[in-house]
Amino acid sequence: MLKKKYASALVAATLVALSLGASLPTSQAATNTIQVYISGDTNVQDLWVSTLVPAFKASNPGYDVNVTLDLHGVHDAQETAKITAAFATRKDAGADLIDGGFVQQLGSAGLLYKATSALVPNLSTVGRAVVSIGKGGIPYRASAVLLAYNSTNVKTPPKTLDELLVWIKAHPGKFTYNVPSGGGSGFAFVQTVVDKYLTTADRNALVQGANKSLQTKWATGLETLRSLNAYTYGKNGTYPANNAETLKDLATGLVDMGSVWSDQFASATKAGTMPANIKVTQIANPQFTGGAAYLGIPRTSKNYKAAQVLANWVLSPEGQNLIVAGTMNGMPVIPVTMLDPKVAAGLTGVDVANLRPAYFSANGNDLKSAWALAVPGK
Amino acid sequence: MTSTKSGVTVESLGAKKAPRLSIIGFFMALPPLLLVVFFVGLPVLIAFTFSLGFTTGPNRVLSIIGQEIHKKDHWWGTFAAYKDVYHDPRFAGDMRTTIAITVISTTLVLLMALGIGIYQRMIGGRLASVMTALTLVPLFVPVVIAAWAIHTFYAGDGFMRTFFSQFGINFPTITSTVSAIAIGTIWTSLPFAILMVTSGLQSIPDALIETAQDAGAGFFRIIRTVLIPLAITPIVIAGTFTGIGILGSFTIPLFLGPNQPTMLGVEISNFFGAYNRPQQSIVMAFIVFASASGIALIYIWANVRSAKQSGRI
Repeated sequence: MLKKKYASALVAATLVALSLGASLPTSQAATNTIQVYISGDTNVQDLWVSTLVPAFKASNPGYDVNVTLDLHGVHDAQETAKITAAFATRKDAGADLIDGGFVQQLGSAGLLYKATSALVPNLSTVGRAVVSIGKGGIPYRASAVLLAYNSTNVKTPPKTLDELLVWIKAHPGKFTYNVPSGGGSGFAFVQTVVDKYLTTADRNALVQGANKSLQTKWATGLETLRSLNAYTYGKNGTYPANNAETLKDLATGLVDMGSVWSDQFASATKAGTMPANIKVTQIANPQFTGGAAYLGIPRTSKNYKAAQVLANWVLSPEGQNLIVAGTMNGMPVIPVTMLDPKVAAGLTGVDVANLRPAYFSANGNDLKSAWALAVPGK
Repeated sequence: MTSTKSGVTVESLGAKKAPRLSIIGFFMALPPLLLVVFFVGLPVLIAFTFSLGFTTGPNRVLSIIGQEIHKKDHWWGTFAAYKDVYHDPRFAGDMRTTIAITVISTTLVLLMALGIGIYQRMIGGRLASVMTALTLVPLFVPVVIAAWAIHTFYAGDGFMRTFFSQFGINFPTITSTVSAIAIGTIWTSLPFAILMVTSGLQSIPDALIETAQDAGAGFFRIIRTVLIPLAITPIVIAGTFTGIGILGSFTIPLFLGPNQPTMLGVEISNFFGAYNRPQQSIVMAFIVFASASGIALIYIWANVRSAKQSGRI
């Protein structure tokens, strides 16, 4: 008797579990829940969770957005692998819209719905050059690495990379940049120094695709970086772990100069964690890198139509205003004239079309490794 | 009558129970065993084949994405990834740092734990209890919080430098040095070692210590010939656990250590993530795994020894 009861209970529980499992995906599709996967810092998470998503939901009733964050993009390789595997096995990888540095890699592997005005109508307002670097990704905001300096101690900041290198050696312990594997601002400094010794053609080749033979030309730049060990903060060849630590070192006055992300610096200034006497400038010959951040709609997405609606909305003036004016302090990818004039007035005048792009990810990974071999503690 | 009846019942129950209990016991032991086999054992095996250059089947996707992947050129695979790691100039420095930190920190942790334990056992009193309780505080502080706390304490603008500069003393910046890793690992490993060592010392009967005192043994002689030999098993266990924990540490060396050389835990993560070289990172993971197995042998020896002493085997 008792056994029968248990058996029937078990059958009932199994049925419930089965029906739950079966009904979950359909119910998700019906409510148009868009799964957004972010790989980046917490400021990107803030942009989506507290700025873009609430505004999108308000102007597009019926849609829901679920945001997943991979902090600092630690699992980029795994996520790329997951989407590659999902595509091969024709399964849903669980992401409808991806915001991360590996979007271009997915695009070159043919794993994204290609970014065209047919897919996202508002893309027609975005510059062609920015779109083509995306390799299928949808550019949606931009940022650049800038040179931050303490205006109390530094009256005339360096204007070129050569001047900057001279300044660093003349002021031992007063400059720093973070480990290139720990954040893009340090990486930009490293890439800019090695690029100094490369021709424009070589630089472009390293931006376009993996190129092992050109990497040997990094040696001179890496030697220059190694020679800075005695002059950077700490004077012992150790470097801050990430973008945030460089900002902290500038804010607390440990250093007078460092490379920072434009958006993170602007956010820190607004939040009051960066004193007003710390200012930013861009250097030339070559300038620090920057570029657009790209969204990708993976071809594994079952909900790609809803993702298209979201991507299109992000590129609308409404979405772009929020990227510029919100806590992100990003740069728009659409013409400034399309923005709200009040919002546009706050922009620092960095031209998105003239940003110098960062290396293709495979070359970037190798540069991080090459830097770790040649520079710290040597 | 009743007693006979109940006696019979009990007997029959016992006779029936034995095989049934063993079946229940087997099934109770099964979930953790299956968990280890499927979620640890199998991935370890697959990772090992990947490190040897087997790039098909479950390793296919990783080998498409990763850089510097070596495919097997013999039926058994290839050692190319192992050679890569061996010839990488970073590896020797990382290995040296990892071993040095493990040996130094474990020794210091054991010495400190013994100090507190012996103080509490031999002298005792309220002060000793308060001190032991205080040493356990780090047990309740998450490692990542502890790492940042130590970082802000010893950093260039940290407490120590600020404090000493009031007196015109230039206290060195300890962060981004190997010493900071040692401070961090000792701080986080100490509570567990103290728990193990003090409980081991507490279980030694007073009679033995008093007999030794009556026979004229001094303080250090009692420690050397009574306390430590009798508590050697928990001391060895504390040492092996501390050693294995420090060997695989990641957060502390990441936050407090220099960029290069660093400990293998951080380097494995760098190779897997930043440099996108999964095969080489797995090779390093196996080297850490092998070193930890060496320490685990000491642990097994200590357990066998204590089992022999208590007559279990």
